[in-house]
Formats: sequence, C-alpha cells, structure tokens
Amino acid sequence: MKQKSFLRTATPYLFILPWIIGFLVFTIGPLIFSLIMSFFDWPLTSTPEFVGFGNYIEMFTEDDQFWKSLVISLKYAAIFVPLNLIVALFLAMLITQPVKGVKIYRTLYYIPTVISGVAVAILWGWLLDSNYGVVNYLLSLIGIEGPQWLIDKSWALFAVIIASAFGVGSMMLIFYTDIKNIPPDVYEAASLDGASPARQFFSITLPLITPTLLFNLIMSIINSFQQVTLVMLLTNGGPLNSTYFYGLMTYNNAFKHHKMGYAAANAWVMFIIILFLTALVFKSSSAWVFYETEAGGKEKKAKKKQAKEAK
Amino acid sequence: MKKTAVAAGILALGAMAMLAGCGGGDKAAADGKTHIRFATWDVAEDVDRQQALVDKFNESQDQIEVTLEAYGSDFDTKISAGMGSGDAPDVMYMWNYPSYYEGLEPLDSYIEKEGEDYKANFYETLWDYNSMNDSIYGIPVGFTTHTLFYNKDIFAEAGLEEPTDEWTWDDLMEAAKTINDKTGKEGFAFQMKPDPYDFEMYLWSNGTAYCDAEGNLEGNLNSDASKEVFQMFQDMEKDGYAVATEAAPTDEFRAGNVAMFIYGSWSINTFNEDGLNYGVVKIPSFAGKGDSISILSSSGLSISKDSENKDAAWEFVKFWTNEDANKERIGLELPVLYSVVESEGIMDQPEYAPFYEMLEQSAGHTPASFIIEDWSEVSENLSLSFEEVLNPSALMDVSEVLDGAAAK
Repeated sequence: MKQKSFLRTATPYLFILPWIIGFLVFTIGPLIFSLIMSFFDWPLTSTPEFVGFGNYIEMFTEDDQFWKSLVISLKYAAIFVPLNLIVALFLAMLITQPVKGVKIYRTLYYIPTVISGVAVAILWGWLLDSNYGVVNYLLSLIGIEGPQWLIDKSWALFAVIIASAFGVGSMMLIFYTDIKNIPPDVYEAASLDGASPARQFFSITLPLITPTLLFNLIMSIINSFQQVTLVMLLTNGGPLNSTYFYGLMTYNNAFKHHKMGYAAANAWVMFIIILFLTALVFKSSSAWVFYETEAGGKEKKAKKKQAKEAK
Repeated sequence: MKKTAVAAGILALGAMAMLAGCGGGDKAAADGKTHIRFATWDVAEDVDRQQALVDKFNESQDQIEVTLEAYGSDFDTKISAGMGSGDAPDVMYMWNYPSYYEGLEPLDSYIEKEGEDYKANFYETLWDYNSMNDSIYGIPVGFTTHTLFYNKDIFAEAGLEEPTDEWTWDDLMEAAKTINDKTGKEGFAFQMKPDPYDFEMYLWSNGTAYCDAEGNLEGNLNSDASKEVFQMFQDMEKDGYAVATEAAPTDEFRAGNVAMFIYGSWSINTFNEDGLNYGVVKIPSFAGKGDSISILSSSGLSISKDSENKDAAWEFVKFWTNEDANKERIGLELPVLYSVVESEGIMDQPEYAPFYEMLEQSAGHTPASFIIEDWSEVSENLSLSFEEVLNPSALMDVSEVLDGAAAK
C-alpha cells in the first residue's frame, strides 16, 4: 500500500521529468557553468587559469570597447523600445477597426515576424544599400538624397533600428488580442457620454491593456539587449564600430578572440543590467499598471493601511 | 498500476537511449569500422561535391567510415566549441593556424613517413601558410593569391590598352582616371573595410609590413612606406575615379560598373557563367620596389589533437589531398600539386596562370597574424583604423590614424 501511495505522489513529477531534466541540463547547468567560467582566464585550446574578479576588473577599468558597446546598446534600447511599442500599438489599433479586408492587413503586418533573422538582415542590407537600394530610390523620387545608411556612422544605428522594427508583428498581435477582449459595452457607454475616439483610446483602451503593455515592455527591453543576429549580418558592428552592440562584442570575445572567461563575464554583466532594468519596470508598474481583478483588493488594502496608520 | 508500469518502462528506455548515446566515443563501433568525423566550412553545391568525394573514399576500403559535417558559416564557432570541450572533429578544414594550432596534431612525422617526394610535390610557399612555430599542422588543399581583374569591354570603350603584368600603380591610376572621364564608370574599386590580413600584401609590395619579427607595430605600421600605401588608396577615392565599396566589389565588377579590382580566384566561375569579358593580370607593383607580393588565402586539412583515431584520420587526409582529389576540385579550388598543375595544363589557361605567378613571387613573407600573438584583437583594431582612412564618410588623416593605431 505504501508503495502505491509513493507512486501516486511521484507520477506527476515523472511526467514533467523530461522538462525538468532539460531545464537543469540546458538552462541551469550552462548558467552556473558560465558564472564559474567568468572567474577564469579561459582560452579555448589551453588550460583555464583562475583569475578571481580579474575579468570584471579588466572590463570596467581597461576595456574602452566595453563602455562604448554598452552605450550603443543603451542608445539602441532607448530608441527601439518606445518606437517598437508605439508602432505595435498603433498597428494593433488599426487592425481592430471594423473595415473590409482587415484579415488581409492583419496577415500582412504579421508576415515579417515569421521571416528568420538572417533573411531579414540580408533583405534590409539590400533595401538600404546606398547605391542600389530601394529605400534611397524611393526617397530620390520625392527629391530627397538618401543617406548612406550602412556606411555613414551617424545613420547606421538608425538603419538597424528600422530593420528591427520590421519584426513588430508578434507584439502587435498580443496587443490586438487584448484590445479585442475589452467588452464593447464600455465603449458604447463612453460614446453615449460623448467621448471622442481619442478620449476613448486614452481613457478606456490604454488603461485596460496596461498589463499587456508591461509584458511587451519587458520583453522588448530584454530583446533589445540581446540583439546580435541582425547587427552581425547587417553591419557586423560597422561602420566605424558605430553598431558594435554589446551582444556582438560578447560573441566576438568568445568565438573570435577565444576569451571564453571574459565573454562569460560580459554576459553576466549584461544579465545583471537586464535584471536591474526589469526589476525597475516591475517596481514602477504598481503606479501605472491596472489589474481589473485587483481593483477591489487594492482599495481594501489602502483602507487597511489607513486604519493601521490611524491606530 | 498498469499505467505506472508503462511510465516506468518508457523511462527505462529513455535512460538506455541516453547511455547508448554516451557510449558513442568507442574506438571501433558495432560495424567494426573506424569512424572519422570530417568538418568542412563549405556550403550548398560545394558540400554535395565533397559528399560525393567522401562517399568515394568510404567505398574504396572497408576499414574507415568518414562522416562529413558541414558547418558553413558556423565553422569557427563550432570548431572553437568542439576544441573547448574536447569533442572536435577528427579531421577538419583549417586556415587560421595561429588561433587553433594548439588544438591540432603536428603532422611533420606523418609527412616524413611518406618520403621526400610527397612533400616536394606541393608548392613550397603553401607549407609556410600551413605551419606554426616550424611545425606543419595542415596539408594544403587549396589556395588563392590575389590578382588584378579587369573588364575588357570597358577598356575598349575608353580606347585604352589592356593592363599587363608589368603595370605599376601609376599606370593603374592613370588608366582609372581616363576610364572615369570617358565612360563615367568607376576605374578601380576596393573595399572600404579591408580585412587587415589581406591588406598587408600592399605593404609588403612597398617594402614594409605591419610589424617586425617581434611583433612591434610601432615604426612598421606607421612607417613612411606604409603611410604611402594608405595615402595612395585614400587619394584615389578622394579624386573620384576609384570607389570604396561596403563588401568586396565583386557585384559592382559583375554588373560592369567597375573596370578593375583586386581579388582572389573565388569568383572566376561566377564571372565565366555570367559570360563576363574579363582579363586577369598580376597585381601592379610600386615603381622601383620590385615585384608585387600577394597574400595567400590557403586552406589545409588538419587532424585534431584529441582525435582517437589519428592513423585512420591521416589515411583520409592523404586521400583528400592526393592527385585525384586535387583534380576533382578544379573549379572549386586551385590545385596545390606541381604534378596536377602540369598534367592539367593549368598554366596555359590565362585566367588561372597569374595566380600561380603571384604565388611564385610571393614566397618569404610571414603575415602578421602568424607573428602577433593576440592577432584577432589587433586585427580588429587595425580594421577600425583602416576604415577610418577609407570610409567615404570618415576619410581621416592617414598619418594620425596609423600613428594612433601603432601606439595602441
């Protein structure tokens, strides 16, 4: 009997065992291993040597490129994240409008997301080519001489941002489903009260989708710091290192310069930065994210707090 | 009860499969053959051709079974990771010996066993490019030197004599200017972010190098002769008859927008398929500085230091580098054996002969990548400096940039 009850408790765990093994072996394992690596001078072909915090000290005190790349990645995130959110939300609003053929538009806007990063990079490499590119050709039709997107260092980062905004579709879809979930009677009531469409958007739609906004915000912060594929293939860090993103620097340190330990340290610093930014967003979220189910609870809490203070 | 028994059975099977997977490193597998893993960096049709050649080897004997692993553009990542974890392929293509030689098996003793004639049949300069610290780590498979490609139609249009092997840079510049004036096309093109490894050939041709034998950049990279080279390229661009391109100017040349460029043999097949009317001559020399020198881009076949079947691996390396295999690869790679070049009449083909002439006159130069220990990082700095000089949106002062780069 005892054995049977053991099996009964163990069965669910057995079922999720493959996933747990996968998680331990492919996620937690490498994570811990990379942390250990970051304390070593770890050339690929010879024996690793323990250096303590040496890699971290070198990064912060000697490596100019570390700071430069960090600034580039921050700059990219600062422009890309808001732009991406606004474009996604704008498109999501468009495809919720009751117009004919909206399904076609929905598909059209989503398609670029399905294309792999490599193809996107090659595609934009051609589109933005300064001599033969379509973008500059179209600009020339309206009398503008297009910039040398991928050659001029003041434009290259912007070119990367445009190319990455191409994959806005999945975020748009998340916004879209959430907007669709808002009960239509709310809008009906609002329009009876004479609220304009803009007013409806800012007073109904936006507050109701703040949880999704939070999710998308965090995801795009993380994504923007991890951006490697696109810059590697589109600009390879150039021109003049103006798009030498932090992720690309880490990759090059590992697989080009064979400094595995140093690259692991790079990756951990990035991890901590992302962790910090995410925590910051979460912390701030109580001020601007609105959960429907929570509304009542919050008031109660506030009342309790008041009562406590009164005591 | 039944359900749990089934679950337990599945788990047991899974565990067995995992154990079996781990046991794959055995020397002789179940079929009694020695298994060799062979990594290539080639892609697409080239891999198909290589697979055919591998199949031929597998059918030719019953001791060794070779599996081709095509890593493509992930080659470096996968070889690095493989060496780091002691799981590198037994046999692999190799060119970057300074980075990887510590994970490779020195081949001198193997070569010695094959006798004097074996080694002498390879073009001698190629051994230098497949060695590190006086040990040979790879058997040459293919190579290319660089030559001057020119578009015959554009030269005819401009009413100019075609380039010759005796040309100097002054001749080239003059022709480029005339072409630009008369046809509006670009006379000459080069990459705005050249690979420092390749670009050193121009410094050699002008009697200098990036560094001395001890690896010091100071006084070499920023010597007058070196500055002269960079100034020449920058001036061509500033004067408007040469163009600096984002990638190697192959596409511009194919499209007939550029009259001349310097490149390896990689695109000859494409040019022929296009039906392009082009010619090939040696790289122009610097006036009064002797023959021009070319860098070699060479590929070899190496054996991993950690391989458990080195003798079988060597058998395969020998097969892959023998006369027949060299002949098979013509059109894909330039043959590296004297006997094959002779028997196939390669020197009679005007688009191939200049590559061998450049090879013969380029002996005795050691690329900085073989001298400077942390070359990949130095190379990255150099690459940035060269771009500062040649990128049309920068065009910074040659002297300042090179002095700064040498001081780093």
